[in-house]
Amino acid sequence: MLALSGILVWVILLLIFIFLGFYGRRWKKGDMSKLDEWSLGGRKFSAAIVWFLVGADLYTAYTFIAIPSSVFSIGAIYYFAVPYVAVTFGIAMWAMPKLWKVSKEKGFITASDFVKSNFSSRNLAILIAIVGIVAELPYIGLQIVGMLSVLTVMLSGIANIKLVVDLSLILSFIILAIFTYVSGLRGATLTAIFKDAIILISVALVIIVALVTIGFTKSFTGLPVKYYHILPLQVNAYWSLFLMSALALYLYPHAVTGSLSAKSPKSLRLSQSLLPLYGVGLALLALFGILVYGNHAAITFLKDTFVASSRGTYVVPALIFYSLPAPLTGFAFLGIFIGGLVPASIMAMSQSNLFTRNIVRELYPKMSQSREALTAKVAMIVFLFIAVGFVFVFPLSYSVQLQLLGGIIILQTLPALFLGLVTNKLNKYSLITGLLVGLGLGIYWMEVANHFHTWTTTLLPISSSVGSLFIGFLALSANLIIVLVGSLIALPFRKKQ
Amino acid sequence: MSQNVTAMSKRSLYVTVAILTIIPFIALAIVPSYVRTNPEIGGLPFFYWYQLLWLFLAAALFGLAAILYNKYGGE
Repeated sequence: MLALSGILVWVILLLIFIFLGFYGRRWKKGDMSKLDEWSLGGRKFSAAIVWFLVGADLYTAYTFIAIPSSVFSIGAIYYFAVPYVAVTFGIAMWAMPKLWKVSKEKGFITASDFVKSNFSSRNLAILIAIVGIVAELPYIGLQIVGMLSVLTVMLSGIANIKLVVDLSLILSFIILAIFTYVSGLRGATLTAIFKDAIILISVALVIIVALVTIGFTKSFTGLPVKYYHILPLQVNAYWSLFLMSALALYLYPHAVTGSLSAKSPKSLRLSQSLLPLYGVGLALLALFGILVYGNHAAITFLKDTFVASSRGTYVVPALIFYSLPAPLTGFAFLGIFIGGLVPASIMAMSQSNLFTRNIVRELYPKMSQSREALTAKVAMIVFLFIAVGFVFVFPLSYSVQLQLLGGIIILQTLPALFLGLVTNKLNKYSLITGLLVGLGLGIYWMEVANHFHTWTTTLLPISSSVGSLFIGFLALSANLIIVLVGSLIALPFRKKQ
Repeated sequence: MSQNVTAMSKRSLYVTVAILTIIPFIALAIVPSYVRTNPEIGGLPFFYWYQLLWLFLAAALFGLAAILYNKYGGE
Protein backbone atom coordinates (compact mmCIF):
# COMPACT_ATOMS: atom_id res chain seq x y z
CA MET A 1 0.00 0.00 0.00
CA LEU A 2 1.05 3.56 -0.70
CA ALA A 3 2.45 5.35 2.40
CA LEU A 4 0.16 7.72 4.25
CA SER A 5 1.90 10.84 2.88
CA GLY A 6 1.06 9.67 -0.66
CA ILE A 7 -2.58 8.99 0.19
CA LEU A 8 -2.80 12.42 1.82
CA VAL A 9 -1.48 14.16 -1.32
CA TRP A 10 -3.95 12.15 -3.39
CA VAL A 11 -6.92 13.18 -1.23
CA ILE A 12 -5.97 16.88 -1.06
CA LEU A 13 -5.58 17.09 -4.84
CA LEU A 14 -8.88 15.27 -5.33
CA LEU A 15 -10.57 17.93 -3.19
CA ILE A 16 -9.03 20.69 -5.35
CA PHE A 17 -10.26 18.83 -8.43
CA ILE A 18 -13.81 18.70 -7.04
CA PHE A 19 -13.67 22.40 -6.17
CA LEU A 20 -12.59 23.27 -9.73
CA GLY A 21 -15.39 21.11 -11.13
CA PHE A 22 -18.01 23.12 -9.23
CA TYR A 23 -16.26 26.47 -9.69
CA GLY A 24 -16.45 25.92 -13.48
CA ARG A 25 -20.08 27.02 -13.34
CA ARG A 26 -19.01 30.62 -12.65
CA TRP A 27 -16.26 30.63 -15.27
CA LYS A 28 -17.20 32.54 -18.48
CA LYS A 29 -20.72 32.55 -17.10
CA GLY A 30 -23.66 31.73 -19.34
CA ASP A 31 -27.33 30.70 -19.20
CA MET A 32 -27.11 27.03 -18.22
CA SER A 33 -30.70 26.34 -19.24
CA LYS A 34 -29.55 26.39 -22.86
CA LEU A 35 -28.01 23.23 -24.28
CA ASP A 36 -25.08 24.89 -26.05
CA GLU A 37 -24.20 26.90 -22.94
CA TRP A 38 -24.13 23.73 -20.84
CA SER A 39 -22.51 21.30 -23.25
CA LEU A 40 -20.37 23.59 -25.45
CA GLY A 41 -19.39 26.19 -22.84
CA GLY A 42 -21.21 28.82 -24.90
CA ARG A 43 -18.78 28.36 -27.86
CA LYS A 44 -16.31 30.88 -26.50
CA PHE A 45 -13.11 29.00 -25.66
CA SER A 46 -9.80 30.41 -26.89
CA ALA A 47 -7.17 28.46 -28.89
CA ALA A 48 -5.21 27.70 -25.70
CA ILE A 49 -8.26 26.38 -23.84
CA VAL A 50 -9.40 24.22 -26.76
CA TRP A 51 -5.85 22.91 -27.02
CA PHE A 52 -6.12 21.67 -23.43
CA LEU A 53 -9.70 20.47 -23.75
CA VAL A 54 -9.23 18.38 -26.90
CA GLY A 55 -5.82 17.31 -25.64
CA ALA A 56 -7.55 16.09 -22.48
CA ASP A 57 -9.32 13.55 -24.65
CA LEU A 58 -5.87 12.23 -25.57
CA TYR A 59 -4.66 11.64 -22.03
CA THR A 60 -7.29 9.10 -21.12
CA ALA A 61 -7.09 5.51 -19.97
CA TYR A 62 -6.38 4.70 -23.63
CA THR A 63 -3.02 6.43 -23.18
CA PHE A 64 -2.26 5.33 -19.59
CA ILE A 65 -3.52 1.80 -19.73
CA ALA A 66 -4.40 0.41 -23.17
CA ILE A 67 -1.30 1.51 -25.11
CA PRO A 68 1.49 0.92 -22.49
CA SER A 69 -0.20 -2.36 -21.56
CA SER A 70 -0.09 -3.57 -25.17
CA VAL A 71 3.47 -2.37 -25.78
CA PHE A 72 4.38 -4.28 -22.61
CA SER A 73 2.69 -7.53 -23.58
CA ILE A 74 2.75 -7.49 -27.43
CA GLY A 75 5.51 -5.13 -28.55
CA ALA A 76 6.42 -2.22 -30.81
CA ILE A 77 3.34 -2.49 -33.05
CA TYR A 78 1.28 -0.67 -30.39
CA TYR A 79 3.55 2.34 -30.79
CA PHE A 80 1.21 3.06 -33.76
CA ALA A 81 -0.51 5.46 -31.35
CA VAL A 82 2.40 7.88 -31.89
CA PRO A 83 2.13 8.34 -35.70
CA TYR A 84 -1.63 8.33 -35.12
CA VAL A 85 -1.53 11.41 -32.90
CA ALA A 86 1.15 12.97 -35.11
CA VAL A 87 -1.19 13.06 -38.14
CA THR A 88 -4.75 13.12 -36.77
CA PHE A 89 -4.54 16.87 -36.16
CA GLY A 90 -3.55 17.48 -39.77
CA ILE A 91 -7.05 16.20 -40.62
CA ALA A 92 -8.77 18.01 -37.74
CA MET A 93 -7.27 21.43 -38.52
CA TRP A 94 -9.07 21.48 -41.88
CA ALA A 95 -12.22 19.43 -41.20
CA MET A 96 -13.28 20.80 -37.81
CA PRO A 97 -13.26 24.57 -38.59
CA LYS A 98 -15.58 23.75 -41.53
CA LEU A 99 -17.93 21.87 -39.21
CA TRP A 100 -17.66 24.72 -36.67
CA LYS A 101 -18.76 27.34 -39.21
CA VAL A 102 -21.87 25.52 -40.40
CA SER A 103 -22.70 24.50 -36.81
CA LYS A 104 -22.50 28.05 -35.48
CA GLU A 105 -24.57 29.37 -38.38
CA LYS A 106 -27.32 26.76 -38.00
CA GLY A 107 -27.13 26.12 -34.25
CA PHE A 108 -25.83 22.54 -34.53
CA ILE A 109 -24.51 20.82 -31.42
CA THR A 110 -23.72 17.35 -32.76
CA ALA A 111 -22.37 15.76 -35.93
CA SER A 112 -25.80 14.19 -36.45
CA ASP A 113 -27.38 17.66 -36.59
CA PHE A 114 -25.09 18.39 -39.51
CA VAL A 115 -25.77 15.07 -41.26
CA LYS A 116 -29.51 15.55 -40.96
CA SER A 117 -29.35 18.99 -42.54
CA ASN A 118 -26.75 18.17 -45.19
CA PHE A 119 -28.44 15.04 -46.56
CA SER A 120 -32.02 15.83 -45.47
CA SER A 121 -32.24 12.39 -43.92
CA ARG A 122 -33.65 11.90 -40.45
CA ASN A 123 -32.97 8.16 -40.52
CA LEU A 124 -29.30 8.59 -41.37
CA ALA A 125 -28.95 11.17 -38.57
CA ILE A 126 -30.59 8.89 -36.01
CA LEU A 127 -28.45 5.95 -37.12
CA ILE A 128 -25.28 7.99 -36.74
CA ALA A 129 -26.40 9.21 -33.31
CA ILE A 130 -26.91 5.60 -32.18
CA VAL A 131 -23.49 4.54 -33.51
CA GLY A 132 -21.89 7.48 -31.66
CA ILE A 133 -23.62 6.66 -28.36
CA VAL A 134 -22.71 2.96 -28.61
CA ALA A 135 -19.08 3.65 -29.56
CA GLU A 136 -18.60 5.95 -26.54
CA LEU A 137 -19.90 3.43 -24.02
CA PRO A 138 -16.86 1.09 -23.92
CA TYR A 139 -14.61 4.16 -24.14
CA ILE A 140 -16.06 5.31 -20.79
CA GLY A 141 -15.76 1.70 -19.58
CA LEU A 142 -12.06 1.81 -20.40
CA GLN A 143 -11.67 4.97 -18.28
CA ILE A 144 -13.19 3.12 -15.34
CA VAL A 145 -10.83 0.18 -15.85
CA GLY A 146 -7.93 2.64 -15.69
CA MET A 147 -9.22 4.24 -12.49
CA LEU A 148 -9.68 0.83 -10.87
CA SER A 149 -6.09 -0.13 -11.75
CA VAL A 150 -4.70 2.96 -10.00
CA LEU A 151 -6.80 2.36 -6.89
CA THR A 152 -5.81 -1.31 -6.85
CA VAL A 153 -2.07 -0.59 -6.94
CA MET A 154 -2.42 2.31 -4.49
CA LEU A 155 -4.30 0.27 -1.91
CA SER A 156 -2.77 -3.13 -2.62
CA GLY A 157 -2.35 -5.15 0.56
CA ILE A 158 -5.17 -3.67 2.67
CA ALA A 159 -8.09 -5.73 3.94
CA ASN A 160 -11.36 -5.71 1.93
CA ILE A 161 -9.54 -4.07 -0.98
CA LYS A 162 -12.29 -4.86 -3.51
CA LEU A 163 -14.96 -3.21 -1.39
CA VAL A 164 -12.88 -0.10 -0.70
CA VAL A 165 -11.91 0.27 -4.38
CA ASP A 166 -15.49 -0.17 -5.61
CA LEU A 167 -16.92 2.28 -3.08
CA SER A 168 -14.26 4.91 -3.89
CA LEU A 169 -15.06 4.54 -7.57
CA ILE A 170 -18.83 4.88 -7.13
CA LEU A 171 -18.42 7.87 -4.81
CA SER A 172 -16.16 9.58 -7.38
CA PHE A 173 -18.72 9.06 -10.11
CA ILE A 174 -21.52 10.49 -7.99
CA ILE A 175 -19.45 13.64 -7.41
CA LEU A 176 -18.53 13.75 -11.11
CA ALA A 177 -22.19 13.46 -12.14
CA ILE A 178 -23.20 16.30 -9.81
CA PHE A 179 -20.58 18.78 -10.96
CA THR A 180 -21.04 17.89 -14.62
CA TYR A 181 -24.77 18.50 -14.08
CA VAL A 182 -24.20 21.97 -12.66
CA SER A 183 -21.09 23.09 -14.56
CA GLY A 184 -21.32 21.27 -17.91
CA LEU A 185 -18.35 21.58 -20.26
CA ARG A 186 -16.97 24.50 -18.25
CA GLY A 187 -16.32 22.22 -15.27
CA ALA A 188 -14.79 19.53 -17.49
CA THR A 189 -12.49 22.10 -19.11
CA LEU A 190 -11.15 23.63 -15.89
CA THR A 191 -10.50 20.19 -14.43
CA ALA A 192 -8.92 19.08 -17.73
CA ILE A 193 -6.26 21.78 -17.43
CA PHE A 194 -5.60 20.76 -13.80
CA LYS A 195 -5.35 17.07 -14.68
CA ASP A 196 -3.03 17.58 -17.64
CA ALA A 197 -0.65 19.75 -15.65
CA ILE A 198 -0.39 16.95 -13.06
CA ILE A 199 0.04 14.26 -15.70
CA LEU A 200 2.70 16.11 -17.70
CA ILE A 201 4.78 16.70 -14.55
CA SER A 202 4.33 13.06 -13.45
CA VAL A 203 5.37 11.64 -16.83
CA ALA A 204 8.44 13.87 -16.90
CA LEU A 205 9.41 12.83 -13.34
CA VAL A 206 9.03 9.09 -14.00
CA ILE A 207 10.96 9.32 -17.29
CA ILE A 208 13.83 11.20 -15.65
CA VAL A 209 14.00 8.78 -12.71
CA ALA A 210 13.72 5.73 -14.98
CA LEU A 211 16.41 7.00 -17.36
CA VAL A 212 18.80 7.87 -14.53
CA THR A 213 18.31 4.67 -12.55
CA ILE A 214 17.59 2.11 -15.31
CA GLY A 215 18.07 3.49 -18.84
CA PHE A 216 16.75 2.09 -22.10
CA THR A 217 19.73 -0.21 -22.73
CA LYS A 218 19.01 -2.22 -19.59
CA SER A 219 15.24 -2.24 -20.22
CA PHE A 220 15.58 -3.60 -23.75
CA THR A 221 18.14 -6.23 -22.77
CA GLY A 222 16.72 -9.70 -23.19
CA LEU A 223 13.56 -8.58 -25.01
CA PRO A 224 12.71 -10.20 -28.38
CA VAL A 225 13.13 -8.31 -31.69
CA LYS A 226 9.42 -7.35 -31.83
CA TYR A 227 10.08 -4.93 -28.97
CA TYR A 228 12.93 -3.13 -30.78
CA HIS A 229 10.79 -2.31 -33.83
CA ILE A 230 7.86 -3.84 -35.68
CA LEU A 231 8.55 -6.92 -37.83
CA PRO A 232 8.62 -6.56 -41.65
CA LEU A 233 5.35 -8.51 -41.87
CA GLN A 234 3.61 -5.99 -39.56
CA VAL A 235 4.14 -3.01 -41.90
CA ASN A 236 0.65 -3.15 -43.42
CA ALA A 237 -0.96 -3.64 -40.03
CA TYR A 238 0.98 -0.63 -38.74
CA TRP A 239 -0.04 1.93 -41.36
CA SER A 240 -3.64 0.72 -41.48
CA LEU A 241 -3.89 1.01 -37.68
CA PHE A 242 -2.42 4.49 -37.39
CA LEU A 243 -4.08 6.07 -40.43
CA MET A 244 -7.53 4.69 -39.58
CA SER A 245 -7.19 5.71 -35.92
CA ALA A 246 -6.24 9.19 -37.13
CA LEU A 247 -9.40 9.33 -39.24
CA ALA A 248 -11.56 7.90 -36.43
CA LEU A 249 -10.63 10.29 -33.57
CA TYR A 250 -12.69 13.24 -34.78
CA LEU A 251 -15.68 11.08 -35.62
CA TYR A 252 -16.08 10.36 -31.90
CA PRO A 253 -18.81 12.57 -30.44
CA HIS A 254 -16.57 13.84 -27.61
CA ALA A 255 -14.01 15.21 -30.10
CA VAL A 256 -16.81 17.01 -31.95
CA THR A 257 -18.03 18.52 -28.65
CA GLY A 258 -14.54 19.79 -27.83
CA SER A 259 -14.07 21.29 -31.30
CA LEU A 260 -17.41 23.11 -31.36
CA SER A 261 -16.63 24.84 -28.05
CA ALA A 262 -13.99 27.03 -29.75
CA LYS A 263 -14.74 30.73 -30.11
CA SER A 264 -13.77 30.96 -33.80
CA PRO A 265 -12.64 28.76 -36.72
CA LYS A 266 -9.22 30.40 -36.62
CA SER A 267 -8.58 29.69 -32.95
CA LEU A 268 -9.84 26.13 -33.49
CA ARG A 269 -7.48 25.59 -36.44
CA LEU A 270 -4.47 26.95 -34.56
CA SER A 271 -5.18 24.83 -31.48
CA GLN A 272 -5.56 21.64 -33.54
CA SER A 273 -2.39 22.25 -35.53
CA LEU A 274 -0.29 22.38 -32.36
CA LEU A 275 -1.82 19.31 -30.69
CA PRO A 276 0.84 16.83 -31.95
CA LEU A 277 2.98 18.29 -29.14
CA TYR A 278 0.50 16.82 -26.69
CA GLY A 279 1.38 13.40 -28.12
CA VAL A 280 4.90 13.58 -26.67
CA GLY A 281 3.51 12.56 -23.28
CA LEU A 282 1.61 9.73 -24.94
CA ALA A 283 4.80 8.47 -26.62
CA LEU A 284 6.68 8.55 -23.29
CA LEU A 285 3.83 6.68 -21.56
CA ALA A 286 3.97 4.04 -24.33
CA LEU A 287 7.67 3.65 -23.51
CA PHE A 288 6.72 2.89 -19.87
CA GLY A 289 5.67 -0.48 -21.32
CA ILE A 290 9.37 -1.10 -22.13
CA LEU A 291 10.99 0.73 -19.21
CA VAL A 292 9.10 -1.38 -16.68
CA TYR A 293 11.15 -4.42 -17.81
CA GLY A 294 14.24 -2.73 -16.36
CA ASN A 295 12.63 -2.06 -12.96
CA HIS A 296 13.14 -5.26 -11.02
CA ALA A 297 10.81 -4.37 -8.12
CA ALA A 298 7.95 -3.37 -10.45
CA ILE A 299 8.27 -6.52 -12.57
CA THR A 300 8.36 -8.74 -9.48
CA PHE A 301 5.24 -7.01 -8.09
CA LEU A 302 3.39 -7.42 -11.42
CA LYS A 303 4.33 -11.10 -11.72
CA ASP A 304 3.48 -11.94 -8.11
CA THR A 305 0.19 -10.04 -7.91
CA PHE A 306 -1.56 -10.43 -11.27
CA VAL A 307 -2.12 -13.20 -13.83
CA ALA A 308 -0.33 -12.77 -17.17
CA SER A 309 -3.44 -11.70 -19.10
CA SER A 310 -4.29 -8.74 -16.83
CA ARG A 311 -0.72 -7.76 -15.89
CA GLY A 312 -0.41 -5.12 -18.62
CA THR A 313 -3.20 -3.02 -17.12
CA TYR A 314 -1.06 -2.29 -14.06
CA VAL A 315 2.21 -1.45 -15.86
CA VAL A 316 2.02 2.34 -15.56
CA PRO A 317 0.82 2.50 -11.93
CA ALA A 318 3.42 -0.09 -10.92
CA LEU A 319 6.31 1.74 -12.61
CA ILE A 320 5.26 5.00 -10.94
CA PHE A 321 4.90 3.32 -7.55
CA TYR A 322 8.40 1.83 -7.72
CA SER A 323 10.07 4.91 -9.25
CA LEU A 324 8.80 7.88 -7.23
CA PRO A 325 8.71 8.64 -3.48
CA ALA A 326 5.29 8.26 -1.82
CA PRO A 327 4.05 11.88 -2.00
CA LEU A 328 4.91 12.11 -5.72
CA THR A 329 3.31 8.72 -6.35
CA GLY A 330 0.12 10.06 -4.77
CA PHE A 331 0.40 13.11 -7.02
CA ALA A 332 0.81 10.99 -10.19
CA PHE A 333 -1.90 8.50 -9.20
CA LEU A 334 -4.39 11.31 -8.73
CA GLY A 335 -3.47 12.52 -12.23
CA ILE A 336 -4.28 9.13 -13.72
CA PHE A 337 -7.42 8.78 -11.61
CA ILE A 338 -8.94 12.09 -12.74
CA GLY A 339 -7.45 11.34 -16.16
CA GLY A 340 -10.27 8.80 -16.34
CA LEU A 341 -12.94 10.99 -14.70
CA VAL A 342 -12.61 14.08 -16.92
CA PRO A 343 -12.89 12.27 -20.27
CA ALA A 344 -15.77 10.21 -18.85
CA SER A 345 -17.59 13.47 -18.14
CA ILE A 346 -16.97 14.88 -21.65
CA MET A 347 -17.95 11.57 -23.27
CA ALA A 348 -21.18 11.22 -21.32
CA MET A 349 -22.07 14.83 -22.21
CA SER A 350 -21.52 14.17 -25.90
CA GLN A 351 -23.63 11.00 -25.69
CA SER A 352 -26.41 12.94 -23.99
CA ASN A 353 -26.26 15.65 -26.69
CA LEU A 354 -26.80 13.03 -29.39
CA PHE A 355 -29.54 11.35 -27.41
CA THR A 356 -31.39 14.61 -26.71
CA ARG A 357 -30.88 16.39 -30.02
CA ASN A 358 -31.07 13.53 -32.47
CA ILE A 359 -33.32 10.97 -30.84
CA VAL A 360 -35.62 12.62 -28.23
CA ARG A 361 -36.12 15.80 -30.27
CA GLU A 362 -37.08 13.74 -33.31
CA LEU A 363 -39.88 12.21 -31.23
CA TYR A 364 -40.90 15.47 -29.48
CA PRO A 365 -40.05 18.28 -31.93
CA LYS A 366 -41.84 20.90 -29.80
CA MET A 367 -39.56 20.40 -26.77
CA SER A 368 -38.61 23.80 -25.24
CA GLN A 369 -34.98 24.94 -24.90
CA SER A 370 -34.90 24.55 -21.15
CA ARG A 371 -36.58 21.14 -21.34
CA GLU A 372 -33.96 20.11 -23.91
CA ALA A 373 -31.11 21.16 -21.61
CA LEU A 374 -32.69 19.35 -18.65
CA THR A 375 -33.16 16.16 -20.69
CA ALA A 376 -29.50 16.24 -21.69
CA LYS A 377 -28.33 16.73 -18.09
CA VAL A 378 -30.38 13.79 -16.84
CA ALA A 379 -29.29 11.63 -19.80
CA MET A 380 -25.65 12.43 -18.98
CA ILE A 381 -26.07 10.95 -15.49
CA VAL A 382 -27.78 7.86 -16.90
CA PHE A 383 -25.00 7.28 -19.46
CA LEU A 384 -22.27 7.65 -16.80
CA PHE A 385 -23.90 5.05 -14.60
CA ILE A 386 -24.65 2.66 -17.46
CA ALA A 387 -20.88 2.59 -18.02
CA VAL A 388 -20.18 2.06 -14.29
CA GLY A 389 -22.82 -0.67 -14.15
CA PHE A 390 -21.36 -2.32 -17.22
CA VAL A 391 -17.90 -2.50 -15.65
CA PHE A 392 -19.29 -4.00 -12.45
CA VAL A 393 -21.55 -6.54 -14.14
CA PHE A 394 -19.16 -7.84 -16.81
CA PRO A 395 -15.48 -8.84 -16.52
CA LEU A 396 -13.07 -5.89 -16.90
CA SER A 397 -11.71 -7.33 -20.14
CA TYR A 398 -15.09 -6.77 -21.86
CA SER A 399 -14.60 -3.00 -21.79
CA VAL A 400 -11.21 -3.35 -23.43
CA GLN A 401 -12.58 -5.69 -26.10
CA LEU A 402 -15.56 -3.50 -26.89
CA GLN A 403 -13.28 -0.48 -27.04
CA LEU A 404 -11.44 -2.28 -29.86
CA LEU A 405 -14.74 -2.62 -31.70
CA GLY A 406 -15.67 1.02 -30.93
CA GLY A 407 -12.91 2.32 -33.20
CA ILE A 408 -14.12 0.13 -36.04
CA ILE A 409 -17.77 1.10 -35.80
CA ILE A 410 -17.20 4.85 -35.38
CA LEU A 411 -15.10 4.79 -38.59
CA GLN A 412 -18.19 3.77 -40.52
CA THR A 413 -19.66 7.25 -39.98
CA LEU A 414 -16.78 8.81 -41.96
CA PRO A 415 -18.53 9.02 -45.35
CA ALA A 416 -21.53 10.94 -43.99
CA LEU A 417 -19.50 13.31 -41.82
CA PHE A 418 -16.14 13.96 -43.50
CA LEU A 419 -17.23 13.50 -47.13
CA GLY A 420 -20.39 15.39 -46.19
CA LEU A 421 -18.25 18.40 -45.29
CA VAL A 422 -16.89 18.45 -48.84
CA THR A 423 -19.98 17.54 -50.88
CA ASN A 424 -23.72 17.14 -50.49
CA LYS A 425 -24.00 15.10 -53.70
CA LEU A 426 -23.82 11.76 -51.88
CA ASN A 427 -27.00 9.71 -51.97
CA LYS A 428 -28.59 9.19 -48.54
CA TYR A 429 -29.72 5.61 -49.19
CA SER A 430 -26.18 4.66 -50.28
CA LEU A 431 -24.84 6.25 -47.10
CA ILE A 432 -27.25 4.24 -44.93
CA THR A 433 -26.48 0.99 -46.81
CA GLY A 434 -22.73 1.62 -46.66
CA LEU A 435 -22.90 2.32 -42.92
CA LEU A 436 -24.90 -0.83 -42.17
CA VAL A 437 -22.68 -3.04 -44.35
CA GLY A 438 -19.56 -1.51 -42.77
CA LEU A 439 -20.90 -2.24 -39.26
CA GLY A 440 -21.90 -5.80 -40.19
CA LEU A 441 -18.60 -6.64 -41.88
CA GLY A 442 -16.63 -5.01 -39.04
CA ILE A 443 -18.29 -7.25 -36.44
CA TYR A 444 -18.08 -10.32 -38.68
CA TRP A 445 -14.35 -9.84 -39.38
CA MET A 446 -13.73 -9.31 -35.65
CA GLU A 447 -15.27 -12.73 -35.06
CA VAL A 448 -13.24 -14.32 -37.87
CA ALA A 449 -9.96 -12.71 -36.79
CA ASN A 450 -10.51 -13.95 -33.23
CA HIS A 451 -11.76 -17.39 -34.32
CA PHE A 452 -15.20 -16.70 -32.78
CA HIS A 453 -13.64 -16.48 -29.31
CA THR A 454 -12.74 -13.65 -26.92
CA TRP A 455 -11.79 -10.51 -28.87
CA THR A 456 -8.12 -9.72 -28.42
CA THR A 457 -7.11 -8.41 -31.85
CA THR A 458 -8.46 -6.01 -34.46
CA LEU A 459 -6.12 -7.33 -37.16
CA LEU A 460 -7.35 -9.71 -39.86
CA PRO A 461 -4.69 -11.96 -41.45
CA ILE A 462 -4.78 -11.49 -45.25
CA SER A 463 -1.96 -13.54 -46.75
CA SER A 464 1.61 -14.57 -45.98
CA SER A 465 3.02 -11.74 -48.14
CA VAL A 466 0.66 -8.94 -47.03
CA GLY A 467 0.45 -9.93 -43.37
CA SER A 468 -2.56 -8.53 -41.46
CA LEU A 469 -4.69 -5.43 -41.94
CA PHE A 470 -6.75 -3.41 -39.45
CA ILE A 471 -10.40 -4.49 -39.76
CA GLY A 472 -11.55 -0.86 -39.58
CA PHE A 473 -9.73 -0.20 -42.86
CA LEU A 474 -11.36 -3.18 -44.60
CA ALA A 475 -14.87 -2.34 -43.35
CA LEU A 476 -14.48 1.34 -44.25
CA SER A 477 -13.29 0.39 -47.76
CA ALA A 478 -16.41 -1.72 -48.32
CA ASN A 479 -18.56 1.12 -46.93
CA LEU A 480 -16.92 3.73 -49.19
CA ILE A 481 -17.30 1.59 -52.33
CA ILE A 482 -21.04 1.24 -51.66
CA VAL A 483 -21.45 4.97 -50.96
CA LEU A 484 -19.54 6.07 -54.07
CA VAL A 485 -21.03 3.53 -56.51
CA GLY A 486 -24.53 4.06 -55.13
CA SER A 487 -24.22 7.85 -55.35
CA LEU A 488 -22.93 7.62 -58.96
CA ILE A 489 -25.89 5.47 -59.98
CA ALA A 490 -28.29 7.84 -58.24
CA LEU A 491 -26.76 10.99 -59.73
CA PRO A 492 -28.82 11.13 -62.98
CA PHE A 493 -32.06 10.74 -61.01
CA ARG A 494 -31.01 13.51 -58.68
CA LYS A 495 -30.62 15.96 -61.57
CA LYS A 496 -34.15 15.32 -62.83
CA GLN A 497 -35.68 16.52 -59.55
CA MET B 1 -5.00 43.52 -62.21
CA SER B 2 -5.03 43.50 -58.44
CA GLN B 3 -7.72 40.80 -58.55
CA ASN B 4 -5.38 38.59 -60.61
CA VAL B 5 -2.63 39.04 -58.08
CA THR B 6 -4.98 38.04 -55.25
CA ALA B 7 -6.17 34.96 -57.14
CA MET B 8 -2.58 33.93 -57.85
CA SER B 9 -1.42 34.36 -54.28
CA LYS B 10 -4.55 32.58 -53.00
CA ARG B 11 -3.66 29.60 -55.16
CA SER B 12 -0.04 29.52 -54.01
CA LEU B 13 -1.28 29.81 -50.43
CA TYR B 14 -3.52 26.74 -50.87
CA VAL B 15 -0.68 24.77 -52.48
CA THR B 16 1.71 25.77 -49.68
CA VAL B 17 -0.61 24.81 -46.83
CA ALA B 18 -1.53 21.55 -48.61
CA ILE B 19 2.13 20.60 -48.93
CA LEU B 20 2.88 21.54 -45.32
CA THR B 21 -0.05 19.40 -44.15
CA ILE B 22 0.73 16.36 -46.27
CA ILE B 23 4.47 15.99 -45.45
CA PRO B 24 4.02 14.24 -42.04
CA PHE B 25 1.46 11.84 -43.55
CA ILE B 26 3.86 10.80 -46.32
CA ALA B 27 6.90 10.54 -44.08
CA LEU B 28 5.11 8.35 -41.54
CA ALA B 29 3.21 6.27 -44.13
CA ILE B 30 6.54 5.03 -45.53
CA VAL B 31 6.76 2.61 -42.63
CA PRO B 32 9.74 0.51 -43.89
CA SER B 33 11.93 3.65 -43.74
CA TYR B 34 11.93 3.48 -39.94
CA VAL B 35 11.66 -0.22 -39.16
CA ARG B 36 15.18 -0.51 -37.75
CA THR B 37 17.11 -0.36 -34.48
CA ASN B 38 20.14 1.76 -35.37
CA PRO B 39 21.18 4.45 -34.82
CA GLU B 40 20.05 4.33 -31.20
CA ILE B 41 19.87 7.36 -28.89
CA GLY B 42 20.72 6.49 -25.30
CA GLY B 43 19.72 2.88 -25.95
CA LEU B 44 16.38 3.85 -27.53
CA PRO B 45 15.99 2.22 -30.98
CA PHE B 46 15.61 4.40 -34.10
CA PHE B 47 12.02 3.13 -34.56
CA TYR B 48 10.92 4.90 -31.35
CA TRP B 49 12.83 8.17 -31.37
CA TYR B 50 12.28 8.82 -35.08
CA GLN B 51 8.48 8.77 -34.69
CA LEU B 52 8.74 10.77 -31.47
CA LEU B 53 10.69 13.39 -33.42
CA TRP B 54 7.87 13.56 -35.98
CA LEU B 55 5.47 14.77 -33.26
CA PHE B 56 7.56 17.95 -33.06
CA LEU B 57 7.97 18.24 -36.83
CA ALA B 58 4.23 17.69 -37.43
CA ALA B 59 3.33 20.40 -34.90
CA ALA B 60 5.79 22.80 -36.59
CA LEU B 61 4.51 22.10 -40.13
CA PHE B 62 0.79 22.07 -39.19
CA GLY B 63 1.29 25.16 -37.04
CA LEU B 64 2.93 27.04 -39.90
CA ALA B 65 0.11 25.99 -42.25
CA ALA B 66 -2.52 27.17 -39.74
CA ILE B 67 -0.82 30.53 -39.17
CA LEU B 68 -0.42 31.17 -42.92
CA TYR B 69 -4.00 30.18 -43.67
CA ASN B 70 -5.48 32.12 -40.75
CA LYS B 71 -3.58 35.23 -41.81
CA TYR B 72 -4.05 35.18 -45.57
CA GLY B 73 -6.79 32.69 -46.35
CA GLY B 74 -9.85 34.01 -44.54
CA GLU B 75 -11.67 31.86 -42.00
